[in-house]
Amino acid sequence: MRPIKTFAVVLSIAALAATAAAAQEASLTVAFAGVKAHKGKMMGVLFDSQAAYDGKGEAVRAFAVAADGATIEERLPGLKPGRYAIRVFHDLDGDGKMGLNPFGIPTEPFAFSNDAKGMMGPASWDAAAFEVKAGDNVQTIHID
Amino acid sequence: MDRRSFLNLGAAAGAGLAAAAWFDPDRVYAQATAPWTLGLADVEDDVAPHKLRRLHGRLPAGLEGALYRNGPAKFRRPGRSVGHWFDGDGMVRAWTLAGGEATLAARFVDTPKRRIETSAKACVMPGFGTKAAPGSQLEGPDDSNAANTSVIRVGDALWALWEGGSPAALDPVSLETKGFAVLRQDLKSMPFSAHPRREASGRLWNFGWWRDQVVVWRLSPQGALEDARIVKLPRASYIHDFTATDRHLIFVLQPWVQERMAMPFNSGFAWRPEQGTQVVVIDKADLDKRRVFELPPFFFFHLGDAWAEADGTIRFDACIDPDPSFAVTGAAKLLSGEASGGPAPRLALVTLGADGKARLEQTSDAAEFPRNDPRYAGLAGNMTVHTVIEPGRPLSRGIATRDWRGGKAQAFDFGLDHLVEEFVFAPRPGGSAAFDGWLVGTTLNLKAKASELHVFDARRVADGPVCSLRAEAALPVSFHGNFVRG
Repeated sequence: MRPIKTFAVVLSIAALAATAAAAQEASLTVAFAGVKAHKGKMMGVLFDSQAAYDGKGEAVRAFAVAADGATIEERLPGLKPGRYAIRVFHDLDGDGKMGLNPFGIPTEPFAFSNDAKGMMGPASWDAAAFEVKAGDNVQTIHID
Repeated sequence: MDRRSFLNLGAAAGAGLAAAAWFDPDRVYAQATAPWTLGLADVEDDVAPHKLRRLHGRLPAGLEGALYRNGPAKFRRPGRSVGHWFDGDGMVRAWTLAGGEATLAARFVDTPKRRIETSAKACVMPGFGTKAAPGSQLEGPDDSNAANTSVIRVGDALWALWEGGSPAALDPVSLETKGFAVLRQDLKSMPFSAHPRREASGRLWNFGWWRDQVVVWRLSPQGALEDARIVKLPRASYIHDFTATDRHLIFVLQPWVQERMAMPFNSGFAWRPEQGTQVVVIDKADLDKRRVFELPPFFFFHLGDAWAEADGTIRFDACIDPDPSFAVTGAAKLLSGEASGGPAPRLALVTLGADGKARLEQTSDAAEFPRNDPRYAGLAGNMTVHTVIEPGRPLSRGIATRDWRGGKAQAFDFGLDHLVEEFVFAPRPGGSAAFDGWLVGTTLNLKAKASELHVFDARRVADGPVCSLRAEAALPVSFHGNFVRG
């Protein structure tokens, strides 16, 4: 009888988990403010850990949103609640890459969640990380 | 999101700060009492345009225009002060000469650095000789751009220049800051040094330094970008100034070499006299064509104009130091009222022979801020004006001219009551011979506690100023400027 009992336990855990996931699903709307050049795209990447944010893991989502409208925002549904951080750059020329001058300095505007500022490099995870709670969330980033 | 070189800054940040350890940036300025410290005093507000008071003489007829100058004028804030003379906020001064009258107006360049520090009530941004402090933000070189080193007229704008970032564009009348100039979008934030070289035709050459590379800028007389090219150099030498003949660009690579990217900037350099000084001569017509000459080790900030002779010999003058101690410690100590007492730079002549051999002839003249007749830029027969330093005393007290063809050197001593700034040449309308015109420059009168404008006949410097005028403001000693004819 042991296999049946185990199966039942697994089933019940799965059911619980499904219920919890439905209840705790989160969405995040990333809104852009202060945009000066209404052209190209905002190229954003969402991370859920410091390791990933620092380039040692996978991003949760990547998105591109046209920057020509009066309202520039991207809704990211289906997230787990937790801590996240965003890196974004304004792809002014639409080539999909962050422009760098010949000495390696960015030529296109960039920003981080929390409007965190960098110090001789990107803003730190600690400065850029924010909480996403169950339900709808909004993160406004000033760029340009 | 790759930021290659820019990110490398982060890895090195915090390293090698020992060079700044002798200097406490929070030292109370009030301890300083020597009269010359007025030359490094803070200015709190912009200076409204006002007429100068005539002390003696008359402004020469035909001398119409504006002497634009730039230099740091705010060093100290309640929470923290800068650690080096070169890191104060740039203030652009317009000394305007028109109809026999002169006026002065001065305005701070409105940089991100100044905004951040005003709001923080502390000098937090990293610089040439200042460490970063909490509250600093550095997402690109222009965040720490002090826009404090020189000012040039380009097209319809004034550009306040620094050496590690973009030109800051100003309105030439109101001196209001318009923002950093972007010469081409893909070259945004590339360095544009404070020492561009303008040919007699008006074409402008400049460089921007980055380790063992420079970007070579070429602008039309109207200020349009004609070309920008990256040139690799044999070493990562500190390059504040370069020079040029009509056909060559000349980079002098002193053995003060960058061994790591660090903050403050000057702490990443090491003095390697055993490496000597290299001089790289590049053809303007083909930047890949170059010759390299070897000279004994010396340190310098400023070079005079260069010229080529019929047999291919190239010559230029330079103000050279035995070592970089002024850049590392001397210019920082000035802010706390300490005169380093170190050796003064000496005027020297460099000769690059057609046979590939180079020669350095050092004079005994303690000299800085060499300038020339812009109509002879890059050509034989030019003359040099420079300030005169009294060894052991900080800053300059006189000016002198030099004709390297053997003409008589002339000098004028303003005396101990004046701190003398760079003088520039302004041509006499209708004249054409080298130095047929006037030398225009400024001093800070320590006794009167006021800045002054002085005009010399450029060929009769020993006679003293033909006209001197006094402003209502006492502005700290500035670095460089240019005369723009009205």
